[in-house]
Amino acid sequence: MRLEMGTFPVTDITFGRATRYDAGRLTVDCDAVLAAVRQDPRIASAELEIAKPGESVRIWPVRDVIEPRIKVEGPGVCYPGICGREIATVGEGRTHRLAGMGVVEVSSVNWHDAGGDFVETYLDMSGHYGEMYPYQKLLHLCLVVEPDSTLNEEVKNYAVHKAALTVADQLGEAVRALAPPEYQIFELTPVDPKLPKVIYIWCVHSPQAMSGSPSAFCTATYGLTQLTPPWYLHPNEILDGALTGPYRTAFAMSWTVANNPLLLDLYRRHGRDWNFLGVISLRTEWTTQTEKQLMANQTAKLAQQLGADGAVVTWDAGGNEFIEVVRSIQACERLGIKTVFLTSEDDATDGAPTMLEPLPEADAIVSTSFFKNVTLAVPEAPAVARVIGLPTKIVRRGSTIGLHGGVDGAALPTAGPLPPPWRYDDHYGFTSLSCIE
Amino acid sequence: MISAIYNFALTTGANRVIRGARIEHVCGDPTLSPEKDYAFGMRIVTTALQTLTIAVPGPTLFDPMASGKEAVHAS
Repeated sequence: MRLEMGTFPVTDITFGRATRYDAGRLTVDCDAVLAAVRQDPRIASAELEIAKPGESVRIWPVRDVIEPRIKVEGPGVCYPGICGREIATVGEGRTHRLAGMGVVEVSSVNWHDAGGDFVETYLDMSGHYGEMYPYQKLLHLCLVVEPDSTLNEEVKNYAVHKAALTVADQLGEAVRALAPPEYQIFELTPVDPKLPKVIYIWCVHSPQAMSGSPSAFCTATYGLTQLTPPWYLHPNEILDGALTGPYRTAFAMSWTVANNPLLLDLYRRHGRDWNFLGVISLRTEWTTQTEKQLMANQTAKLAQQLGADGAVVTWDAGGNEFIEVVRSIQACERLGIKTVFLTSEDDATDGAPTMLEPLPEADAIVSTSFFKNVTLAVPEAPAVARVIGLPTKIVRRGSTIGLHGGVDGAALPTAGPLPPPWRYDDHYGFTSLSCIE
Repeated sequence: MISAIYNFALTTGANRVIRGARIEHVCGDPTLSPEKDYAFGMRIVTTALQTLTIAVPGPTLFDPMASGKEAVHAS
C-alpha cells in the first residue's frame, strides 16, 4: 500500500470571489461553499467565520476540527464511510491535504440524547487555555451550523458533520489539480529483518453502550462507531481518514487523529529504528468482564500473529474502558510482546492508585498528566473580544476554582471568563506541558 | 456487591460479589420480555440476598446464572 501525500501549507485564509489556493493563501468563496452545505435540506442555518492564531476569539461549541484532505488518485474518498460517504478501502494512490488549518464544526447538537456525554470543548485563539491544545496555532474556517430542530439526534449529528465535511471537500477541491509544495511517500517497505517489529494498539471509544445505539455518532472506523472486535488498519488508511474523530475530548478530534504524532513518528522511523507493522484499532467500552477480557485476548493474539515484538498503546476515553486497554497490555506481555502505554492519570485522592486497575504487566507507562483540568489547577480562561458560535455556555461538572465554585449546569456568557472543560487528556502526545515535583 | 465488572469488586476487597448483567443494566436485560426481565433480575437480587447468609473466607464471586450454588473463589 503506497500513498503519496501532497501537503499545501496554509498561511492565511480570506473570503473572496473564488475558492483557490495560491502560495499559502487560501481564498474561500463563502457563498459557494455555503450553497453546497445548504443543498442538504436537513440544514436549517449555516455561516462561515475565520479565526486566526493570536486573536481574542473563542469558538464554542466545538464538535470537531477537520483537516481538509482530498483523494487525487487511487480508490475511495478521504474520511470514508462517514455520513454516507463511500467505503472503498483507502490508503493507496495520492492524497492532497491543507496543512496548518482546520474546518471547525460549530453547532449546539449534542452527541446523543441518552445523557452523560456532552460537547464541552471550546477553543481560544489566544491565552493560556488555548496554548494547551494544538489548535490555537492553526488557521480556522468555522462552520456555524444548526440542523432542522425536528430531526432526531442521530440524524442531526450526521447532518451537521456532513456539512463540515462538505466545507472541507470544497477547500480540498481547490488544490486537487495543483502541484504540492511539499511531498512525502508513505509506504511500509521491507526492512532489515533484525529490526524489532512494533505494532501500535490504538484504542478508540465506542458510543454504543452510553447511547444505547449501535449507530450513534462518534469516533468512527470507515464510519462505523459500534462495538466491534479489533481491526487491523494500515497506517495509510488512517492518513486518508479511515479512523476519525470526534469524541467528547478536545484531543479526539478528526484533526488530531489524522495528525497523531505517535503514528507519524512510528512511520518516520520505520526501517531505521524498528519495523512498524501498522495499527490494531480496538473499540472500547465493552460492558461485561467477559467481553473486555475477550477483546484483550484477541488484540494480543492479533499482535502476535502479525509478529510484534513490541506494542505502543494509547486510548481516548476514561473509566471502565481502562479494563480492556490495560488487559490488552497484560495479554500482550504474557505473549512476550513488550508494551509501552501512553495515558493520562486519575486523581491520586486518598492514596488510591492513579490507574483504575494497576496491573504489574503494565510496567512501562508514559504519563501525559492528569485527566482533570481542576487537578492541573488550570485557571479560568479570560474574557474574549469575539465569540464564534453560541452566546452562552453551560458549565458541566464545573471546576472548583475561580468563579465556578462547583456550580454544575450554570449558563455563563461565552465571551466572559470561563472554566476550562472538565477533562484534559492529551491522548497522543501533542503537547509538551510539564511540571516540577 | 452486584457488578458486571466483578474483578474490580474482588480486587478492592468486597467479600461477596455477585456477577451482574452489564454495566448499563446490572440487574436486568432490556432485550428480554418484561416477564423474563423480571425473572432475570429477581435471580440476581435473590442470589445477592442469599449470599448474606453464607460465610466466606475472603472476596468471593457468586454467579447467579451458574447451575448449582457453588461459589467461585477469587485467586
